[in-house]
Amino acid sequence: MTTPIIAMRGIVKTFGAVQALRDVNLHLMPGEILGLVGDNSAGKSTLMKVLTGAYTRDGGDVLVNGEITHFKSPHESRDLGIEMIYQDFALCGNMDVGQNIFLGRWPKRFGLFVDRPKMYEEARAVLSRLKVDVNSVFQKVESLSGGRQQSVAIARAISFNPKVVIFDEPTANLSVMATERLLETMSELKRQGVAQIIISHRLTDIFEVGDRIMVLKRGENVGDRYIAHTTEREVLELIVSGTPETALTAEEAMKKAA
Amino acid sequence: MSLEMTAGPPPSRRVKLPPQLLGSWEAGMLVFMAFLYLAGVLINPAFFGTTDAISAVLRDTARFGVMAVGMTFVIVNRDLDLSVGSTLGLVAVSFSILFAPTHLNLDAGTAMLICIGLGLLVGLINGLLVAILRVPPFIATLTMLFIGRGVVLGLTGGKTISYEIKARDYGFFAFGETNALGFNNQILIFLVFAIAGAVLLAKTRIGYETYATGGNDQAAQYAGINTRWVRIRAFLLSSLCAAVAGLMNVAQDKGVTSQYGQGAELIVIAAVIVGGASIAGGRGRVLGACLGAALVVLIDKVLREGVPTTRVIDVGGVKMEVAAMAQLPPGAVPAFLGLLLLGAVLLEPVVVRGNVLGRLKAWLLRQEAPASHDSGGIAIVGVKTMGAASDARGVGLRGFRAFLHRRDAAAIILMVVLWAAGFWLRPDFWGSLDNSFNLLLAFTEIGLLSLGLTYVIANGDIDLSVGSVLALSGAVAAFTMKELGGDPATAVVLALAAGVACGLFNGWLTAKIGMPAFVATLGMFYIARGLAAWLVSGRQLSAFPETYNLLGRNLSVVLESFGIHATGTFAAVARAVSVQTLFLAVVAGIAAVVLGATSFGQKVYATGGNERAASYAGINTQRVRLLSLVFSSLCAAAAGVIYVAYYRSFNPAAGQLRELDAIASVIIGGGSIFGGYGTIIGSLAGAAVITLIRALLSLQIFMSDGSSFVMPQHWMNVFIGLILLAAVIGDIWLRQNNIVSEWKRRRQARAQARHDTRATGVAA
Repeated sequence: MTTPIIAMRGIVKTFGAVQALRDVNLHLMPGEILGLVGDNSAGKSTLMKVLTGAYTRDGGDVLVNGEITHFKSPHESRDLGIEMIYQDFALCGNMDVGQNIFLGRWPKRFGLFVDRPKMYEEARAVLSRLKVDVNSVFQKVESLSGGRQQSVAIARAISFNPKVVIFDEPTANLSVMATERLLETMSELKRQGVAQIIISHRLTDIFEVGDRIMVLKRGENVGDRYIAHTTEREVLELIVSGTPETALTAEEAMKKAA
Repeated sequence: MSLEMTAGPPPSRRVKLPPQLLGSWEAGMLVFMAFLYLAGVLINPAFFGTTDAISAVLRDTARFGVMAVGMTFVIVNRDLDLSVGSTLGLVAVSFSILFAPTHLNLDAGTAMLICIGLGLLVGLINGLLVAILRVPPFIATLTMLFIGRGVVLGLTGGKTISYEIKARDYGFFAFGETNALGFNNQILIFLVFAIAGAVLLAKTRIGYETYATGGNDQAAQYAGINTRWVRIRAFLLSSLCAAVAGLMNVAQDKGVTSQYGQGAELIVIAAVIVGGASIAGGRGRVLGACLGAALVVLIDKVLREGVPTTRVIDVGGVKMEVAAMAQLPPGAVPAFLGLLLLGAVLLEPVVVRGNVLGRLKAWLLRQEAPASHDSGGIAIVGVKTMGAASDARGVGLRGFRAFLHRRDAAAIILMVVLWAAGFWLRPDFWGSLDNSFNLLLAFTEIGLLSLGLTYVIANGDIDLSVGSVLALSGAVAAFTMKELGGDPATAVVLALAAGVACGLFNGWLTAKIGMPAFVATLGMFYIARGLAAWLVSGRQLSAFPETYNLLGRNLSVVLESFGIHATGTFAAVARAVSVQTLFLAVVAGIAAVVLGATSFGQKVYATGGNERAASYAGINTQRVRLLSLVFSSLCAAAAGVIYVAYYRSFNPAAGQLRELDAIASVIIGGGSIFGGYGTIIGSLAGAAVITLIRALLSLQIFMSDGSSFVMPQHWMNVFIGLILLAAVIGDIWLRQNNIVSEWKRRRQARAQARHDTRATGVAA
């Protein structure tokens, strides 16, 4: 069995009196697409923020490629190839597409100046690899539509050849067309061997591209299923009335069903 | 059964509701004030020991208290009104001009009504600027402050107006007198305003709407509250209160000077914040603000009254003990009040939410520290208003049309047009070497300040303290050479160090503590100028070593001091170019390259565009913002060093109103008050525009009938204030919201719709 690219074991996180995560486990294999679902305040975003280092955990281990990590901020996890695409895309509207793709990592010349030719050249290459048509890499991001802005955010995430990409509610404010295009992009990334975690409320989307689905409820694992061996109905039941007893691993659930 | 359960039994006794008018915060303040007064009595029994003192403190509190009532509504709305002091002055001066027998000689009632109308007009302008035109409140009301101050100086010409004899015949002035019960009537007015304001804010829908707007403007809008009107209403109320305070002032003094109300906004805002309101809006009580006013006035009095000391002086060999007062020099008090304001802003988020007392106790008892109430940063951040929203009209254009789409195009075109206008008005003089030299000199100071501000504004922050830091640096240089006997090099180093210290303080408060930049630098605005006045004891210092003064001379003088005599064209150029112009050119060159071509510059724009995104991308945004604020203060300090060298003297009023010029330069030059934009070239062009406007306005214009006309300086400041407002409004509506093409689009859509209906009509 190969080592999971990400393994989170027994994660605990509290905010004052609120226990946001209790003893949560998660694993992600290379090239796998994992859907992370659950009701509001189930702890999905918190778990991902613990993974990227936006939050520090109160207990448990985060392993990347089998090694324990202690990220203190999102850019430390990024150095190990973990990228997150935020729900609001986290772009700078006043800067152009190229500058946003390389946000904070602008290529340098003579150790001081920004290498603009290289920056725009590579930005164009990344966008074509994503197969999105943004008119010009010189366009200010605030003048782009929501779907295009997301393309820029994705382009930024994949421009440094990540191993894991986390999508936070990626289809929440997209049109039907843009959603279709995004799902294609995810499949394309999977073909290139990028593991992905998708936080979403829309089960249909996860069932279309996902390999596995994991359900959280009130900060606890309540279920883990292979998409091929479950139904939207079962997942919905887990979201609404799942308990720690239903929290079988995907293999266990598969064997039990068989 | 179930029906009975849901309906519930009628309440047998009244449920105790939480108090709305007063709370534990107010109680704590009362205790603190009692201690402070006792301390005052101990230090200075001659003043604070008498009942007169209590009534004097209360009388002065009355005016500030009335203003604090109005200000509470504004601050609870998450706005700020910096113009109250200048509104007070404007109303006092207007009343005097209307009433004084030497001027318009109206009766008191008419004058009072006109003045109240004037106050409401100021409030309406503030409200419209902020709520409808979306100008950030601090910039709108700061400009109104400067405009009002300019109008006051212009109307009075700096002179005093007095009408004690005529006042005897009017009952109006009884408002300022002591009544039969032995206290001043102003205290009665204060009580009426305090109670009415407290009830209005705590008990009525108007008050609830105010809290909702301040807490979450959008949620309030969704709930059907007209938040624009709520905000305008608060500004109206604040200006009305300031007008009433101005009338109370003239009723008491029966005359007016141009200094009325100066710095009052500092005391009033500090009072409201000390009284428990939050600068982030949504919280605050009127009675707390009134107690805060009493507290701040008391502190102000303690600082101004001084401490009695005995000094030993030597008269002809005989030692004599003389009673004296250790007093702060005039102008130094604002330094403490500025600190008080910053302290008050930090009090709630840091001390209360951060649970400092609890942690201190735990540390003293060697227990485990309790967690702070609020782990996720300080709640005072996020005062930033809205994001930019311009579109990409300029992409793909070439040549002149691409130039027109640059954000700094307007400034560059305006610069050329204004210079041509000067040439047209005075062809005999405008193009001369002398005039060009003077223009360049005036340009240097504004240009230097605008360099640093470009970084700060691109970062989404603001630096209101540049003019004051200029004064402080000048004061340090002058003080070092005159009082400490330091050599010019030491003076320059210390002056620049003072600037860096101011910048670090600004940056620490803004970037590390999370205070909005306009509050932190507003504090520094008062602190630095107060320190400057304190250092030189409010006097003008001059006669510095001539080697120091070379920093402000032209090149030919500098070369001659080294024994080099220039000849020919080079001599002419050397006479027109001064050391400061060269210095500006060098600093501007470096600043432009760093901002435009290095990754630090990109970090500045990224931080200003979306600070959270920038920090997720691994940019240390705190460091970027801190460095920008330090650079801004350093530029201001350099301008201060040059100021002293150029004038060969230092005046504590140095650099006054310069922040207005510098902010206007950056905004005209393409910067956005919301951050993310601004270039050095644009800001320099903007500085040139401001310089040229000032030069044009001070031109002596010869009329055809042979008479000539020069605009007085005070009115010029009013004009510059108007230009700043126009620049900010133009930036928000033309550059960012692009109303021109929006309007065109709508007109086309309407025309299309009309066409369609006509077509269908024909078809039918």
